[in-house]
Amino acid sequence: MWENLEHVKWVTVLAQTGWLYVLVSVTHYFTLLFFIGTIVLVDLRILGVADRNQTVSQLAEQLQPWTWVGFALAMVSGFLLFTTDAGAYAFDTPFRVKLLTILLAFIFAVIVQWNVPKWNRSPVMPAAAKVAAFLSLILWLGAILAGVEIAALSGLG
Amino acid sequence: MYEALVAFCKWLEGTPWGVSTRTSLWLYPFIQLIHFSGLTVWLGTNITVDLRLLGVGKRRQTAAQLSDGLFAWNWIGFCIVVLGGFLLFSSTASTYVTNPAFRVKLGMLVPLALVWHIVVQQKARVWGQGEETLPAGKLAGLMELLLWISVITAAVEIPNY
Repeated sequence: MWENLEHVKWVTVLAQTGWLYVLVSVTHYFTLLFFIGTIVLVDLRILGVADRNQTVSQLAEQLQPWTWVGFALAMVSGFLLFTTDAGAYAFDTPFRVKLLTILLAFIFAVIVQWNVPKWNRSPVMPAAAKVAAFLSLILWLGAILAGVEIAALSGLG
Repeated sequence: MYEALVAFCKWLEGTPWGVSTRTSLWLYPFIQLIHFSGLTVWLGTNITVDLRLLGVGKRRQTAAQLSDGLFAWNWIGFCIVVLGGFLLFSSTASTYVTNPAFRVKLGMLVPLALVWHIVVQQKARVWGQGEETLPAGKLAGLMELLLWISVITAAVEIPNY
């Protein structure tokens, strides 16, 4: 079934047109590095080691819209890259680990985002906030590692 | 001059870190992780300020305030990027040095983008003082954005050569 996706017209065009594939790759890398960066910065702020001139809410409100714009673009470009070799990626263990890690990291990103207004009102940053921020950092770093391992272990991409 | 560069590359490839990065199955992805993690912080801070200079999105702080607040981690990110990049380069330095995409990336685009970034960071204090950035600041922010996109483009092309 995934194999058939590779033979859809626009997928073959994408796979065979060099500059188009580069464009989608650049979009994927640029947006993922950026959106993960916005998450990392808010996590570091919660941990109290970054940008203490702003409150957590001030920084988060500035960055979070871009987190979701970047995430959406990274997902769309990622899906496009996936389609060009869908039959191989769909059954590749490192790729599946990457998707799972992204899902877990996404859950923590949402948890942090929902709680920032509450945590911001605390006179002292709650321990739970720091734990969540730390786990968010670890999971997103894990997602990046899973991404680079795909090429290292399976030769895909 | 070229012989010195080739000799330097061979030397790097023979260093303990050069050898380990090249031959270890698990180490190379970890070095890539270092390079990419640094890039999330480096690009995250740069692009955030560029977007604020352009005035798109929320305006919780002025561009100047944002740039100042993110200054420390901007350069911490840069150091991590350079560390990871240097280790990756060391693994197969002589092949990188002859790769056209790598030469464009590190020889031309990165120095250009870096110098421009420093200018923008210094000038952000003036251009981005108010809620609405001065026109020069918006243009400068846009140029920085485009320069970093071109660096990533060159990087993506490296495996193709």
